[in-house]
Amino acid sequence: MQREVGTLPLAPALRARLAAAGFQTAQELLDTGPCGLSKEIGISREEALEALQVVRQECHGDAARTARGSGATRKCTALELLEEEQTQGFIITFCSALDNILGGGVQLTKITEICGAPGVGKTQLCMQLAVDVQIPECFGGVAGEAVFIDTEGSFMVDRVVDIAAACVQHCHLIAEAQQEEDHQKALETFSLENILSHIYYFRCRDYVELLAQVYLLPEFLSEHSKVRLVVIDGIAFPFRHDFEDLSLRTRLLNGLAQQLIIIANDHKSAVVLTNQMTTRIGQNQSTLVPALGESWGHAATVRLIFHWDNSQRLATLYKSPSQKESTIAYHITPHGFRDVQPPAGTHSSEGTEMNPRKRPRTEEEKQ
Amino acid sequence: MAAKKLRRAQLSQEMCERLSRYQITTCQDFLCLSLLELMKVTGQSYYEVQKLLCKVSRACAPKMQTVYEMKLRKSVNPSSAFLSTTLHSLDRVLHGGVPCGSLTEITSPPGCGKTQFCIMVSVLATLPVSMGGLDGAVIYIDTESAFSAERLIEIAANRFPTYFDSDEKLFCMTRSIHLYRELTCCSVLKRIMSLEEEIISKKVKLIIIDSVASVVRKEFDTKLQGNLAERSNFLTRGASVLKYLAEEFSIPVILTNQITTSLSSGPSIQADLVSPADDLSLSE
Repeated sequence: MQREVGTLPLAPALRARLAAAGFQTAQELLDTGPCGLSKEIGISREEALEALQVVRQECHGDAARTARGSGATRKCTALELLEEEQTQGFIITFCSALDNILGGGVQLTKITEICGAPGVGKTQLCMQLAVDVQIPECFGGVAGEAVFIDTEGSFMVDRVVDIAAACVQHCHLIAEAQQEEDHQKALETFSLENILSHIYYFRCRDYVELLAQVYLLPEFLSEHSKVRLVVIDGIAFPFRHDFEDLSLRTRLLNGLAQQLIIIANDHKSAVVLTNQMTTRIGQNQSTLVPALGESWGHAATVRLIFHWDNSQRLATLYKSPSQKESTIAYHITPHGFRDVQPPAGTHSSEGTEMNPRKRPRTEEEKQ
Repeated sequence: MAAKKLRRAQLSQEMCERLSRYQITTCQDFLCLSLLELMKVTGQSYYEVQKLLCKVSRACAPKMQTVYEMKLRKSVNPSSAFLSTTLHSLDRVLHGGVPCGSLTEITSPPGCGKTQFCIMVSVLATLPVSMGGLDGAVIYIDTESAFSAERLIEIAANRFPTYFDSDEKLFCMTRSIHLYRELTCCSVLKRIMSLEEEIISKKVKLIIIDSVASVVRKEFDTKLQGNLAERSNFLTRGASVLKYLAEEFSIPVILTNQITTSLSSGPSIQADLVSPADDLSLSE
């Protein structure tokens, strides 16, 4: 109620008039009433009423937020956060080594960035994740849908069909091995057509279309509330040419990062971005670093760098708030993103009996 | 889409006039401003500005398609998804041939046969669909002046003697291959930008650029300050227009590249993809 007039979301001209008339707090405005207000600052009664409604909404909004602590608020205790984190699902990548270094898979409500040279497998992982997010809960997935925003045009429908078919096959094998009723029921809806129909694809040709699409995403996600993954394949490509004004680029990228964080939190979905690599020329040598500059490094919570070592593909966890930095090897097979060799016999900790992510040994040999 | 004028974005007339006083006439100008700046120029409240942003975004955002719809659309026309190169082992490795709708790059040391391959593929593209071709015209952008029309006729006559049995047929085929000699980066870019209308009017089904590397390496000396940034600018602009053309018309685009030595402490020979990704960042 003691909010200053300058901080209210009114039109600038109106705010200027209120300041000139001497109004300082929101309470004063509410006390004056629409007729008094219109006479004092010389606007029509309808405009005054509208302004007062905005003020009232703001003040009630503030009060409600501090009182209730509901989903609209972003304040909670660490205990509540811990409980949320423990029950939260991960989006598995089908490469158990990668899942292990990520702490279970791609985390929801966080932004994960994948950087790498061309051809190393970034788009492959994105397509794999778009299929994996739809795995039903009884198989260890999050049963969500996916939004795929493509700026580079490297999305191949046939490849997604192959990956989805392999995933369905895998789940069938698990269901046969474990013979539980809810597995059979889930498999009825987990078919190829369903998987493909729940990946929403947008092709953005330049940065303006990308900005526009991200502005419209919250509305899209409220209509499609089952979306749990937003992939932007190629966040660097539209921003790397035609930008003489670097400060504009930084500002747009920061705005984009903020909106994506809000989307990830509000809709409980994971955001995955892919970035390109660029060469930084040092004193005597040049190194490959992620593109878009230093300040973009702060946008992502988790950063993975994919690179080559002779002919082996490696993934390094470069930045993470909860896992330590490590490197693993992975493979791209006709079935999608996979481990290099069958995972070791020992799986970590309790809960693996109930955890359908523990894949039986026989399947790896069949692949 | 970016240059779309605001009045086509369903904004009211007076709003458009007010914005044009601040030189904001296209969607691009509008979306590049921050929320506070927008509030200042439109004179509206925070909530109103957000609604305006959604309106303008709707005017330029791409359309949504589900992957299932894309798959159905592709399966309606299965034969037009690839251009077979008639080299069976190559076609097998490429899962059918040169894919339509995307860019394909061919790279090799000098003398290995890139230009010959391009000439052969141009002949193939003019063949009717029943013989594995695309039944369309070809746009060939030649930066090295390496294209030889006599060689073209020799390949066509020897490879498909039953089809090209008369001079008439040969001349018809050569008439549908449009050759452009561009010798500078600037003219190559201008030519690429002007291709959209040519593709529609001449019913083009294949674009070949031979070669990207020669014209870029002639003009940009990477040891000079600032040249790398300009080079990558030129390449990414060309690449995004070519990608747009390939996707929009569902035609294959073939580019050729050259080999260079990448000096590093590791193994010495690596293909230098004169690639947009491998350049100096505009570091801050």
